Amino acid sequence: MNLTIKVNGEEWALDVAPADVLLDVLRERIGTKSPKIGCERGDCGSCTIIMDGRTVRSCLVLAVEADGHEITTVEGISYDGISELQTLFLENNSFQCGFCAPGIVLSATELLENNPNPTRHDVQEALAGNLCRCTGYEPIIDAVLAAGEGGSE
Amino acid sequence: MTTDYPFEAKPENGDLKTVGTSAVRIDGLDKVSGAAEFVDDMDFGPGLLHAAIVESPHAYARIVSIDTSKAEAAKGVVRIATGEDFPYKFGMYMEDRYIFAQDYVRFVGEQVAGVIARSHREAVQAAKLVEVEYEVLTPLLDPRGAVADGAELIHPDLEDYTHVPWFFPQTDTNIAHLRKIRKGDTEKAFAEADYVLEDTYHVPRYAHCAIEPHVTVSKLDQADRLTVWTASQSPHTQRHLFAEALAPLGFTHKDVRVITPYVGGGFGGKAGVSMEILGAAMATLVKGRPVKLRWTREQEFYNTYQRQGVVAELKVGVMNDGTITAVEHKLYWDAGAYVEYGANVVNAAGLSATGPYRVPNITNDSLCIYTNLPPGGPYRGFGYSEFHFGLESHMDRIAEAIGMDPVEFRRKNAIVEGDELAYGASMNPSGMLEAIDKTAEAIEWGVEEESDNPNTVIGKGLALFWKAPAMPPNSSSASFLKFNEDGSINITVSGMELGQGYLTVMAQIAGEVLSVPVEKIRVETPDTDRNPYEWQTVASHVTWSSGLAVEKAAIEARGKIFDVIHQVYGYEDDSLYLEDEAVKCRTDESFSKPLRDFVIDGIQTEDGTWRGGPIVASGKFMPEFTNANSDPETGQGGHPNVHYTVGATGVVLEIDKDTGRIWVRKAALAVDAGRAINPDLVNGQITGGLVQGLATVLYEDMRFDENGKLLNPNFTDYKIPTAFDIPDEIIPIIVEVPQPDGPFGARGVGEHTMIGAAPVIANAVYNALGVRIKSMPITQEKVAMAIIEKFEERAE
Amino acid sequence: MVIANEFDYRRPETLAEATELLANHSGSVRILAGGTDLVAWLRDDAVAPDLVVDIKNVPGLHDLRLDGGTLHIGALVTFTDLIESDVVEENAPLLAEMAETVASQGIRNRATMVGNICSAVPSCDAGPVLLSYDTTVHLTGPDGDRSVDINDWFVGLRQTARTEDEVVTHLTIALRPHGGVYVKLMRYGGEDLAQAAVGIIAYPDHEFRVAFGAVAPTPIRSTRIEAALKGKPLDDDLVAEATAMVRDEISPITDIRSSAEYRSRMTEVMLKRGLVAATERLAGTGPAYGTRLI
Repeated sequence: MNLTIKVNGEEWALDVAPADVLLDVLRERIGTKSPKIGCERGDCGSCTIIMDGRTVRSCLVLAVEADGHEITTVEGISYDGISELQTLFLENNSFQCGFCAPGIVLSATELLENNPNPTRHDVQEALAGNLCRCTGYEPIIDAVLAAGEGGSE
Repeated sequence: MTTDYPFEAKPENGDLKTVGTSAVRIDGLDKVSGAAEFVDDMDFGPGLLHAAIVESPHAYARIVSIDTSKAEAAKGVVRIATGEDFPYKFGMYMEDRYIFAQDYVRFVGEQVAGVIARSHREAVQAAKLVEVEYEVLTPLLDPRGAVADGAELIHPDLEDYTHVPWFFPQTDTNIAHLRKIRKGDTEKAFAEADYVLEDTYHVPRYAHCAIEPHVTVSKLDQADRLTVWTASQSPHTQRHLFAEALAPLGFTHKDVRVITPYVGGGFGGKAGVSMEILGAAMATLVKGRPVKLRWTREQEFYNTYQRQGVVAELKVGVMNDGTITAVEHKLYWDAGAYVEYGANVVNAAGLSATGPYRVPNITNDSLCIYTNLPPGGPYRGFGYSEFHFGLESHMDRIAEAIGMDPVEFRRKNAIVEGDELAYGASMNPSGMLEAIDKTAEAIEWGVEEESDNPNTVIGKGLALFWKAPAMPPNSSSASFLKFNEDGSINITVSGMELGQGYLTVMAQIAGEVLSVPVEKIRVETPDTDRNPYEWQTVASHVTWSSGLAVEKAAIEARGKIFDVIHQVYGYEDDSLYLEDEAVKCRTDESFSKPLRDFVIDGIQTEDGTWRGGPIVASGKFMPEFTNANSDPETGQGGHPNVHYTVGATGVVLEIDKDTGRIWVRKAALAVDAGRAINPDLVNGQITGGLVQGLATVLYEDMRFDENGKLLNPNFTDYKIPTAFDIPDEIIPIIVEVPQPDGPFGARGVGEHTMIGAAPVIANAVYNALGVRIKSMPITQEKVAMAIIEKFEERAE
Repeated sequence: MVIANEFDYRRPETLAEATELLANHSGSVRILAGGTDLVAWLRDDAVAPDLVVDIKNVPGLHDLRLDGGTLHIGALVTFTDLIESDVVEENAPLLAEMAETVASQGIRNRATMVGNICSAVPSCDAGPVLLSYDTTVHLTGPDGDRSVDINDWFVGLRQTARTEDEVVTHLTIALRPHGGVYVKLMRYGGEDLAQAAVGIIAYPDHEFRVAFGAVAPTPIRSTRIEAALKGKPLDDDLVAEATAMVRDEISPITDIRSSAEYRSRMTEVMLKRGLVAATERLAGTGPAYGTRLI
């Protein structure tokens, strides 16, 4: 089937099977590697992408569903230089192994776009679907709160 | 202890520029921008084949027949492998494992065949067409049952298995290894003790749950060279095990290359060799084509190493003044179907199962027991998390029984430098007392807190921990170092960046010696062809061991730098020093030669000729003071552990009396890092390890059915913490009592931060509710039902 | 990851086209909306349809609006839509409270409430709340439109009143002043399926709706408890009387997640806390919507 899709500003036209999953198409056909395969069930969030402005689990989207839609991944966000949020992640030692990082960067980016002044609870809520086994989340939360306009605890 | 460690190389305390700072991690930008490449991200071209595995649905069965004919005819299938293709045994510490099952399957999920196809979908579809006939046998699922008289032998050929000299398999039993400690006279000591407490504690299996699943791409090229790209903690050990396992095919180490980029979390699960051998072996059947094998999340749960379960029978005797006089600790480990790695967990625990205490009379037995469950293996804590649950719960109970404050009881008995360890050697310098004091203070121990909420109560708990690296006595690290034209440095090591910050710490160590800032130092991920040897990135030992190798390489480089300067300018070596990337001279303040001027090009002399050239160096470290000699009956005689890291954990909990729900309001953790090379990274281990430890006691709950099948191999029903499941406040406390033989005094902390979490929760729950729970996990349901049981007991 | 079984995919542009595909396809058909259930089932080999019909391009299924006193919720309204909607916040905040407990942000951005009650797993979060709201389910099929009272919707374990040829188009809820609560027992602070759940609405004059989730093969409503509460001011004795009736209303199972006994006991606790909260919210006090009560 024909799939026309915009990924990080670039248009792609591909032939895919209905049973092809968007996560695989992004990684293997388009070469966008930042969304990761972690659990294949939508539980871990490492496959998170932004589609039409909202985070979705690309492991639970058939590639054909994305026909005509726009996708942003962390490669797109980092292209012209990393964002203030990403800089704060660096300064707060927010990530360790880094496997969950792309998904978390996107979830936090979505949060800050919709809620520039999040509370700690807001941040936890936005990130609750991104599993991290290394950090214990605290330095991630610190960075996102710092990126907000000094939100209240 | 004697080493060739050059103590004079260390700058004076307080003069350190790089070590001791929270330098931004050198792999940080890669990870935050999406640039970081993991094995599954690598591209291998259109020729990449995909493998899928056929697995046993039975925990114990004889393989009657395997019919691959339908699968072979399926679309896209290139080759199918079974045990017949690889009838070889291998293993890390004991050779009891197979590549594909031979004759018998011994756990649900064990690999029976592998299908290689042109696409992942075709491989999965074809794997369903492989028909295996089994004669189903009755599995042994409980370790105490497996050692009962008449229990069937899961490994009847145990006697013939090759193993390391410090293992003692018990022939004609399911006990693959028995570590005994006998010291003093516990029978007499118990008879004379003022108080003795005896009880049993149950700790189930746990899963690592690294977010990156195991994955491997393997290729045997046309020149018969096998390259394996793998998400591993141990590239050189993997190369060794691949070469050994495939030796019957003619491979030696020179024929095998292992490449490991970033790893998405290890926690021990990616140490040794688990599924990677399947990829490496199957690649030999499809010469010239790379083959990818990637584990699903379900396979991550049931067919990689699991943290072994243990039933701990513990008896401790004390005097009225609180002095511990005797410990008898019997550990029945549910070690799984193959124990080639897990047996060393049992060994390590057995050596240290007194906990961090001064104990004159000891009878410890640590039994590594075969069961028909997935293979047990290394997991952060390596047996110590498992036995600390019972031990630190037990100590609290004893303190209460003799009317002593549990923290005071710990202070009185805590092991300190110079005390004799269970196996006879001497305890290293450590800040245990400082850790206890600071932790107790951080949670305001002794101050009872009332809850504002009528539904909840507040409780506090404290627990100690210790651990030593469990390594063969000849485990070693090596490092190469070279300069570049701009004065930057490349370091090649084979330790792995798992997220702990290893690359950064190595850069800081080298940067301190060579006065080069961390931003100008690259530390490269391993390629066994290019990077020198590292045993494994496990045991919390690479900061210490690989750090020493890097420090030595840096010192050698510095020596070569000074030699060139001496050669050209005549200054004596001992008058030279490095500062701000330049060579300076104490006896000539005007002299300052920037490194970048000569570390590749050399220095031109007056007559136009050049001296020097590329500055390259190497370093290696092997602990030459350690040995695994020990009497099989008593465990005495050796020095198996290089040193211990100690610490303490404290928590303040709020518990809902109706629902059993536990909030960790505050958690404090003090660990003696010797010297925190990078305090932020140490804090990262404290926070991350604490949360992982809390998860094992509060949420993670592995469930097997009566046939040995894992019922919850997914995150829906095996709960690991989310951003909502962390303590409200974590207080990390870094204690620094230097490790004399560590780089700048450092020792490892990566595993230790998990160890105290389980008992500290049990103790705080008791403190809050008066309910003592002696099995893990301590879920909200278990707490609620325990409250109800106690309430109903009282009502009767 | 890979979905091993292959299937055809169609994306109809009209409702008529959709129902025609459902009616006329010779093999098995599944409707795809948010996909957060269906794609996982496809990957798990739990379902193997011949055709997947994606209804996301069908116009008119996205509406979330108030028509007079009736709330109209289109089939494609997601849980995030409910959470971010001013209409919901002002008129039926209980829907947002329930929606916030579903999975995580990335799932809620796709998953639809209608899909939730079509999958109809015993722990579906929307079940107890929609039962409490006396919701009407509107469907269309080859024979035209019809509507089903929510009390007749859940007919068995994972089975609903929808026939294979029908598509749910929207839900309607006739609103009047109320206080509501959705109390969901989870195994920890993060996302979880309901281990037991209670949906309660308190109407003026001591009228209640009480529904349970995850403690029976379907979400269930308890008219018996409602009758016991009706017309009487809520005090400790009345709450105790209602709580004592819980075990006769529910039939929880013991599985790897939780025991029947714990589920029963916690349902009693949730009913108690929920009745108090719903009554307070009707009066304009009580814990803010979104506060976890258990």
